[in-house]
Amino acid sequence: MRADYVNLVNTHTVPVRFMYHSPETLEEALRLMREYGGEARVMAGGTDLIVDMKLRRKEPKHIVSLNKIRGIEYIVEEDGGVRIGANTKLRSIEKNSIVRERFEALYEAVRSIASVQVRNMGTLVGNICNASPAADSAPPLLVYDAVVKARSIDGERKIKIRDFFKGPGKTCLKDDEIVTEVFIPYPPGDSASTFFKISRVSMDLAKVNIAILVKLSSNVVEDFRIALGAVAPTPLRIPKAEEYLRHKPLNEENLNIVEKIVSEEIKPITDVRSTEWYRREVSKILVRDALNSTIKKLVRT
Amino acid sequence: MSFYAIGKRTARKDSVAKVTGWEKYASDIYLPNMLHARVLKSPFPHAIVKKIDTSRAEEMGAIVVTFKDVPDKLFCPRLVSTPDATYKDWKVLTDKPKFVGEPIAAVAAETEELAQIALESINVEYELLEPVFDALESMKEGKPRIHDKIMLNDKIIDIENNVACRLELQEGDLEEAFKRSDIIIEREFRTSRGYHNQLEPKVAVVNPEPDGGLTIWCTTQTIHNTRLLISEIFNIPVSKINVKKLALGGGFGSSIQTNIVVPIAVALALKARRPVRLAYTKEEDMHEHSSYQMIFRLKIGVTRDGKLTGGFMENIMDIGAHQIQAYPLLGTCAGWWVSLYKLQAIKYVGVAIYTNKIPSCAYRGYGNPQVTWAVETIMDELAEMLGMDPIEFRLKNYVGERDLFWGQGPTVKSIIKSCGVEEILKKGSELIGWKNRPKPGEQKGRFRRGIGMARGYHTSSAGAPIPSQVIDYSGAILKVNEDGTVDYITGLVDQGGGTLEAHAKIIAEELGLPLKNVNIVAADSQTTIYDVCTHASRGVYAGGGAALNVARQVKEKIFKLASTILNAYPHTLRIRPDEERGQAVIYVEGLPGKEITLGELATLARIKNLGTIAAVDSFRPPACPPHFTGYFVEVLVDTETGIVKPLKVVIGADVGTVINPDLAEGQLHGGFIMGWSRAILEDLKYNEEIGDIECRGFIIDYKMPTAADIPEEIKTFFVETYEPTGPFGAKGLGEGAQNPAIAAISNAIYNATGVRFYELPITPEKLLEKLKEKEGRKLAVEDAVKLT
Amino acid sequence: MKIELIVNGVRRVIDVEPNELLINVIREKLGLTGTKYGCGIGECGACTVIVDSKPVLSCLTLAVEVAGREITTIEGVAKNGRLDPVQEAFVEEGAVQCGYCTPGFIIMAKALLEENKNPSRQEIIEYIKGNLCRCTGYINIVKAIQKASEKITLKERKTT
Repeated sequence: MRADYVNLVNTHTVPVRFMYHSPETLEEALRLMREYGGEARVMAGGTDLIVDMKLRRKEPKHIVSLNKIRGIEYIVEEDGGVRIGANTKLRSIEKNSIVRERFEALYEAVRSIASVQVRNMGTLVGNICNASPAADSAPPLLVYDAVVKARSIDGERKIKIRDFFKGPGKTCLKDDEIVTEVFIPYPPGDSASTFFKISRVSMDLAKVNIAILVKLSSNVVEDFRIALGAVAPTPLRIPKAEEYLRHKPLNEENLNIVEKIVSEEIKPITDVRSTEWYRREVSKILVRDALNSTIKKLVRT
Repeated sequence: MSFYAIGKRTARKDSVAKVTGWEKYASDIYLPNMLHARVLKSPFPHAIVKKIDTSRAEEMGAIVVTFKDVPDKLFCPRLVSTPDATYKDWKVLTDKPKFVGEPIAAVAAETEELAQIALESINVEYELLEPVFDALESMKEGKPRIHDKIMLNDKIIDIENNVACRLELQEGDLEEAFKRSDIIIEREFRTSRGYHNQLEPKVAVVNPEPDGGLTIWCTTQTIHNTRLLISEIFNIPVSKINVKKLALGGGFGSSIQTNIVVPIAVALALKARRPVRLAYTKEEDMHEHSSYQMIFRLKIGVTRDGKLTGGFMENIMDIGAHQIQAYPLLGTCAGWWVSLYKLQAIKYVGVAIYTNKIPSCAYRGYGNPQVTWAVETIMDELAEMLGMDPIEFRLKNYVGERDLFWGQGPTVKSIIKSCGVEEILKKGSELIGWKNRPKPGEQKGRFRRGIGMARGYHTSSAGAPIPSQVIDYSGAILKVNEDGTVDYITGLVDQGGGTLEAHAKIIAEELGLPLKNVNIVAADSQTTIYDVCTHASRGVYAGGGAALNVARQVKEKIFKLASTILNAYPHTLRIRPDEERGQAVIYVEGLPGKEITLGELATLARIKNLGTIAAVDSFRPPACPPHFTGYFVEVLVDTETGIVKPLKVVIGADVGTVINPDLAEGQLHGGFIMGWSRAILEDLKYNEEIGDIECRGFIIDYKMPTAADIPEEIKTFFVETYEPTGPFGAKGLGEGAQNPAIAAISNAIYNATGVRFYELPITPEKLLEKLKEKEGRKLAVEDAVKLT
Repeated sequence: MKIELIVNGVRRVIDVEPNELLINVIREKLGLTGTKYGCGIGECGACTVIVDSKPVLSCLTLAVEVAGREITTIEGVAKNGRLDPVQEAFVEEGAVQCGYCTPGFIIMAKALLEENKNPSRQEIIEYIKGNLCRCTGYINIVKAIQKASEKITLKERKTT
């Protein structure tokens, strides 16, 4: 194997030439995506795409910027949940009171993404479309059963977030589709959710991240959802753990079993950020810590 | 002692330029008609270039240079040792790359984008050679040879078993010393490989001058050695090369040598006959320099009453693919070791080994943080074995006042004349609560606190009373202006620590000048006299010594001139700052009104044709006195994740007279955080499959702490000492500010967990593994909130 | 293509290619070199500028994407030759060493104090964690931002 990248990356420029399209309507953007398909890339915040181009991982011939399209930057409550538009910046999401109050795990996750600068530029939709196995927004969206709305010139498609990720950098989107919105249903009443992350420093990609959602009825778990990131080719829910704990009391014995299930269900690897062994080990303690923190929230309310 | 300017908290002179964006760094230099350059680097760790085809790049109009276009001459990019101790194995561009990232060719074009396109059109055929990445492997018989022949001064020497250079030392009867010992401890330590991660990536802008000379703006800690080296490589008279002094966006040793971008940009500019700018990116920068990785075997004896007897140290240094003066480092590592604690007999074997890795250069501390980590770990262990308090044990054995000191290696010896170790340790232990620290490894529960300490020092410069193998002197020019200010002109580069601010205060103090009247003016290698380099924590001590030296001479001239004008004997004259008038005032003691301001004096001197008051001189420091530091660190270890957090940090320092208190504190803050990072986080690990660093140069995967990773407070204090050889009693600080940090952190982790580490960095992964090993698979969970 | 930028209050019309980054336009075309290139991939914050009152990374922004917008660089922070309270505080608190990261930190501090006049220590460190500094250990940078906040509060009290 040769390290050819040493001569390709990085420069102070974007050494990729492309046609820049800045449509003013979504319809125009969709038409452009139909026309240029696989040769085009949608740009919202640009924080991932520009890096990918600087590092020569992507060399699109066309960039379709969503910058000038009006009406896709919103956070609104509707139909039993919240709708977040494609142009909505991560920073607006963390500052939104609905998100902070009703979607704690998403709020905590968004705040932990990169830096203020990046969150001023990047969008939630961009974060999931980049499909990093470590995307911090993914575990919360997974536990909330979010729905991704993708449009092409032919119409709209609703994709369950669970079906959205297909592998590192891969989604189920077609070449001519643009994600216009993420819909996040309200979590069940009297539930609480938490996001945790372990990383090398406080501005970093996760070694492991986790989101859980719990609803208790006296001491019995009524609803339990759990998702982890950076421990498999895609962020993933752990249905086995969820099924096990449902309708059971929260005690040390059950918790141990849930931890064990999680550590068996994940498929971590060793990479530059951490080791397979460590990821498996801390996944367990993250389950415990996230549960503790969530229970505390439930007790508080 | 009471001072007027020294020791005061003042805003540094360059800070307004730095907070407004006006300050110019080498990377901010753009010239008219300038070309932009890119470098073609080897994608293989060890190879021979069989064929290189640059024709397409040239067809595009790019200027191309390859190894065929640069002088076929071996050189050493760092010029601090005397020639007889300088090993040379570098070429500007090579046809036998020895690490991934080694420059093969370079192109220049109208824009960086065009240069990149041209670069990518170059076709290279390589013959692959087997690489070797581990120092211990590399030195074995029959391993691939990385260098065959190199130069020592002007002699060709053969390289055997990839041993770049070696140094052995022996003093006293070690066998006898070990025989007398009640305990002999032997440990092996492995350090990490660090990357300086200074914020400004390396850059060079070169303008070819019509007389065949060159003007150079570049990242450097030494403008004079840069011009000497470029002269040597390209055979251009040294007087025709002018290197500009600029602000430097952090050095930490990474620009002690002339960065490779400089000769490459020179080669391109000479060929293009146009200005060339070559700016490395972060990724390229990370392939340009790293720290040394060291493997120590350390054996130390001690008697039952806690007196150290003798010691043996083996130091195998992985230096990467080239030497950037590894030889003096072998000497200083021995020096760091023997000048920490008194040993009656020592034996030292130091070997520098080539591997197919990024070349290693000095990195804040020059081996001292690593050696101190090893020694201070062993001191902690020995104290525990002896049942002694670790601080008491250290106080019983440390090298202090009136002891012989040779931190800078065996050829640089002097006697210690100022030392505040005892006070540092006493006060530091009180402030951290040393008496109440937990017993090592006795805590249960998930979160465990630990307190650790370590002490250390660094030399201030590499000066000595006699000549040595290390060049160390500074030079300064000082002239008085008609407005009563002085222009201070020095070739000494301020890497950011505020060295020049200290010089200004020294000059102000000596001349009785309001501080604002000292101008630190723009300078370059043509308008200054020689200064070796800003390294070895020498800026305040040696550079400040040079500033004081010329200030004294100027003062003498001021008095001589004033004596004629005031009609008084020179020895009756005094000088004082008059803040109201904004001037220094020369007056006759006891005769009110018999006085003149410095501005008036300088003006009169001009009108009366008496000349400009000025001085120029070189200054060789007569010693390299150690500045001492002590670190006390309290950590919190999460035994379920292996994550360590700093809770409380206390740092005491003896830097002689403190010239800039806020900047000195800043050195300690920065030193601790850098040490913290080296202790638990940073490592340029190699991926042998690609032959490159695992992170491939991306800082997204070479992490350093952010503002959210630091302790809330770092308590610092300075003990009062006076160094008789230093300017107004001052010593250095930059490196001592970091040296014991790693050891203190490592000792604190031991105190919390009972786990010792002999390998850096102590990552959560390694710590968790050790803890699980120690305590069985499943840790106790008693701290977890009960979930019922 | 021609774009218009309002840079530090001045309208500038510049010819750019679609692939040109804002950092290069600012540094090379406008000659405002106070904005620094550190890592080029959004990790160090040295290139931070304010676009329409929000701090963003100029190394990851295409110039065409900010056409018509208001941009503040470090050169635009001091007004009428007078340092901003944030700049004063950086000078006074010894928050500047090599200074290469300083413009990015000052831009961030400005933006933070516009959003939140009295940030807690926790809010400060969360806000500036995207900016790297190798010299200072951040201690005095955090102090400087706290002091700037006090200065601004004091100033406002005086004027009201």
